[in-house]
Amino acid sequence: MKRVLARTVYMVVVLVLSSIAVFYAIRLSGGDAVAARVPASASAEEREAVREQLGLNDPFHEQYFDYMGRLFTGDLGNSLTNNAQIGKLITEHGKNSLILGAAAFALVFGVGIPLGMLASLRRNSWWDGGIMTFSVAGMAVPNFWLALLAVWLFASVLGWLPSAGCCGPKQLVLPAVVLAMEGMALTVRMTRSAMLENLNQDFVRTLRSGGLSESKVIGRHVFRNALVPIVSLAGLRIGQIVGYALVVETIFGWPGLGQVLVNAVLRRDYPVAQFFSLVLITIVLLSNWLADVGYTVVNPRLRRG
Amino acid sequence: MATMTDQGGRPSGGDQPVTAPLLSIDGLRTMVSTRRESFDVVRGLSLDIYPNEVLCLVGESGCGKSITALSIMRLLPTPPVRVRGGTIRFRGEDLLRLSAKRMRSIRADSISMIFQDPLTSLDPVFTVGDVIVEVIRAHRDVTKEEGRRLAGDALTKVGLPDPLAQLDSYPHQLSGGMRQRVMIAMALVLDPDILIADEPTTALDVTVQAQILDQLVTEQRERNMSMLLITHDLAVVAAVADRVAVMYAGEIVEQAPVDELFEDPRHPYTQGLLRALPKVSTTRRRLDPIPGLVPSLQMMPPGCAFAPRCPHALDRCWTEQPELAADPDGRVFRCFNPQPFAG
Repeated sequence: MKRVLARTVYMVVVLVLSSIAVFYAIRLSGGDAVAARVPASASAEEREAVREQLGLNDPFHEQYFDYMGRLFTGDLGNSLTNNAQIGKLITEHGKNSLILGAAAFALVFGVGIPLGMLASLRRNSWWDGGIMTFSVAGMAVPNFWLALLAVWLFASVLGWLPSAGCCGPKQLVLPAVVLAMEGMALTVRMTRSAMLENLNQDFVRTLRSGGLSESKVIGRHVFRNALVPIVSLAGLRIGQIVGYALVVETIFGWPGLGQVLVNAVLRRDYPVAQFFSLVLITIVLLSNWLADVGYTVVNPRLRRG
Repeated sequence: MATMTDQGGRPSGGDQPVTAPLLSIDGLRTMVSTRRESFDVVRGLSLDIYPNEVLCLVGESGCGKSITALSIMRLLPTPPVRVRGGTIRFRGEDLLRLSAKRMRSIRADSISMIFQDPLTSLDPVFTVGDVIVEVIRAHRDVTKEEGRRLAGDALTKVGLPDPLAQLDSYPHQLSGGMRQRVMIAMALVLDPDILIADEPTTALDVTVQAQILDQLVTEQRERNMSMLLITHDLAVVAAVADRVAVMYAGEIVEQAPVDELFEDPRHPYTQGLLRALPKVSTTRRRLDPIPGLVPSLQMMPPGCAFAPRCPHALDRCWTEQPELAADPDGRVFRCFNPQPFAG
């Protein structure tokens, strides 16, 4: 319990610090937020007036407290470019991101763990060799490059899948696989090594001496032990998926949070960029927190004392 | 079937009826084979375990005691270790030729084993109760509740403090002695005929060692069970054994009832072991170790394995392998030139 509480406090502190970092970083990145708001023909005075009206001439810290104050009253503000309500943007695009992220997450563990187990149980076989080669490739190829290769092969050459779009199952396949690839490859490796390590533990011999079947010994006991390191890093995998989603959503034209954030940053749409960043940061922090709690659940040695 | 004389040293008193062995190992050969080399670690071992006895298998580290036990249980780490010859007969069946499924049904139910290090030998992420219930349910058709009740009884019986609460404990929450009691409870919960205990007290504190040993002997007596106790500790042997088999370099060199072995050891290795014991009562100050080293199993001498360290070795000892046989007194050992023991 103490551990969970400590992690929660830690999470809040990190969130506050990141909000400051995000707020300053986007203002320090140059460009002009007003450009999106006024016609290109507007005079210097007109631009200055809009800037004043948006409070962009105030000192940074005043702008920050002003913004955070409004956030806490539930006023998320509007986009500078098209005046869309940010709350609405979040729900619309969040849904798409959730679909993509969940699909990738399911692939990372739903495919990664079974492949890793297969490799460990058929150690040094062709299965093992094939799976591990796939895994090394999955980690080595950068996802933007993999995305381009996938589009070229499956959309242009074979014509099996659309190259971009939203939001049917067909359009989901390529971005989900590309988004999941690195995490999946890491999960395969980790599952394999954790399984092999635990297969050599003394307790396996004890369980066999108790007359348990191999499926119980391996499928239940060795697997549960191997799950400890895998679950403890599940939070990192989520963080990875959130981060990579910016790239993958942009490449595949998947209208999720990542795509909106990238566009907002490019246009210096401060309110959108700030809030979307905070949302993504919160997701990453929450997933790490969940992984910590999950680690305590799968590893009884951390529960007491 | 083996006769009395060539099995030697059994039974210990003339008042015991002659019984057939419960488990009979004959000519067991277990080998290690890797890509680079292969050699036998158990070299034609024959040993009988009789009903209701405590048989101690003694010998120094690496002589093949544990490998023998794991061969019986068919729990050798294969590869690289595997049995390449011999038979292990138990109730009319050769354990080495049973199907994996049939062998599983014998483990824990008929023949149980406990291991040296009780911390690493228990699954860290399952509760003690979970695992014991699983062992019960692998052999008996009982509900989880019934299994839990049986597991609780087993923990109570081995003297674990607060046994019912410990069902929900994880191994890391228990002390070394408590863990070993859990191992004993798990091994005995199905009331096996034979318990193989492989150095069960070696990893424990001295005070706890005595308690665990006591517990094991009590269980053995109450259950009319046989126990094969593997140890390198002659004090343990003297305290609990009915019969002793001394192992050297993968084979039995002498076997005898415990009193005879300590009073009048015949094989020079057994004699050396007893001489090497530190004694409080005598004036001798220096320890008296056996000179030399155990021969490497990869390069065994052609004759007696002990010849290179033996003070009484004859020429023939270097070229010919003595058989394990009974002498006119009915003592069983493997030596061409036995000498009287002068402690």
